[in-house]
Amino acid sequence: MNQNGEIAVIGVGMYPYGKYPDKSPQEMGVHAVREALKDGGMEWTDIQAMAASCSANLGGVGWLPGHFLAQAIGETGIPIVNVSNVCASGGSSIRAIQTMINSGCCDIGIAVGVDIAPKGFYGALGGTNKWDYDYIRWRGVGMENPSYWALECRRRMAEYGTTEEDLALTKVVSSRHAQYNPYARYRKVFTIEEVLASRMVCSPLRVVELCPTSDGAAAAIVCSMKKARQITSKPIILAGCSLTSAVYGDPTIRIMQLSAPAKAEAPLVSDAVLAFNAAYEEAGIGPEDLSFAELPDNSAWHYLVYMEAAGLCRQGEAERLIREGATAIGGRIPVCPSGGPSSLGEAYPAQGIAQVCEMVWQLRGQTGQRQVEGAKVALGQTYGMQGNSSAIIMKK
Amino acid sequence: MTTTNSTKKQVAAFEDLFTWPSDDPRLIATKCKSCGYCAFPKNFTCGNPNCKNKDVEDILLSKRGKLWSWSTQYYKPPPPFIAPDPYVPFAVGLVEFPEGIKVLGIVTACSDPDKDLKIDMDMEVVAERLFVDENGDEVIGWKFKPVG
Repeated sequence: MNQNGEIAVIGVGMYPYGKYPDKSPQEMGVHAVREALKDGGMEWTDIQAMAASCSANLGGVGWLPGHFLAQAIGETGIPIVNVSNVCASGGSSIRAIQTMINSGCCDIGIAVGVDIAPKGFYGALGGTNKWDYDYIRWRGVGMENPSYWALECRRRMAEYGTTEEDLALTKVVSSRHAQYNPYARYRKVFTIEEVLASRMVCSPLRVVELCPTSDGAAAAIVCSMKKARQITSKPIILAGCSLTSAVYGDPTIRIMQLSAPAKAEAPLVSDAVLAFNAAYEEAGIGPEDLSFAELPDNSAWHYLVYMEAAGLCRQGEAERLIREGATAIGGRIPVCPSGGPSSLGEAYPAQGIAQVCEMVWQLRGQTGQRQVEGAKVALGQTYGMQGNSSAIIMKK
Repeated sequence: MTTTNSTKKQVAAFEDLFTWPSDDPRLIATKCKSCGYCAFPKNFTCGNPNCKNKDVEDILLSKRGKLWSWSTQYYKPPPPFIAPDPYVPFAVGLVEFPEGIKVLGIVTACSDPDKDLKIDMDMEVVAERLFVDENGDEVIGWKFKPVG
């Protein structure tokens, strides 16, 4: 917890999500870093630590992204941590800097994530060892990533009565927000009919109900409140930042795994439940205090499940909330005012940091037509495979 | 099986995941002798953090389980999966066994999965061809087949 006082975010920047065959990850990452530095009114030489998200898509550069970025911006001998927590890497990078500041080993650090995503869906990691779950699930089952979600989604439909229209509505709501986000790759507004007419990928999930992959980058400068007040009059408070893993007995079937417990002895998506609760506790708030939430809507199923895991509503109630308009901007608890991964696309190393960017812009009142009016307290959360979750709460 | 000049063999795609060759192929799992822990593929230890015992044994999962869920994959999975050409969408299923575990596998003998499959229907474990390898051998994997 924040034993040494509050922590703030004083600068954020992004490379707009899209597809850039001519860009290098270094170029996009450096752009995001420089935007964050400009936003915070500081120089690269002010940064005392860096945490950078790893990517499996970038070869050697993705293995040591922080070091390659530092070489492009200018090496200053600072501690650089490369964080490999898949889609929770961005949140983990923020957590790493928060931890370093709390321990007193630095006052100001930067978290950065960048990716150039492969076209289409993710393929195999390339290992062939008999103990490699990834090899087994491809070779023996041909099990694609979104099919894991589709299994859970179909079961949810049987247990809670979720309809195809409910699934489609999550895309409709997010797309209405994305039309106003210049950083989102996909800004077309969808109708329910258009979603239902789109191709089925892994039943019951359709192509526009699955987030596409994107290239993109995001950076956030995190510092002690004491330092922040020297630099800006409007620091946004990092009120809560958690990093958790799954609990034994979690019945979720995880990407790469070939099995899951039949009986639930821990909650579904237990890592996320723990992450939300830890962040709420650290921030001293509950879900009812939130102005909005940026959740990882990698698929229509995720939108529903993470709303419930975050305590925005009771189990089985997410569909009703969405139908009532509660998750639209202007509603009681807007979800993904940025448009979410379904509209930005997935650049997983940047995801958690892109959420921080959106939260900061919203809390500052800088988000134009996608502004959540009177935004005061925001939640962002990401999860990665194998039970990996980070939740971040920011306050004005 | 008839042998010809170019003898075709059947080879299991994996050691130690299912019994092969066998008339009654079963999935090989690990069970803890003290607590409810069950793992597939096999594990060398009990993964229950609250279990002090850690004394595990190999078991064969039951022949039958219930279909917890499925999904029909309309896009061809990439290598190392070897898909038939032309690709025909197939379903992947998650089957719940009485031993307390849900296991993933291809659903076979089902031409229109989204129409014909039902949650909780009885499924049985079978061993069937995944693909033919470069030597002309049939590579065998485990699959789930609707009962009856």
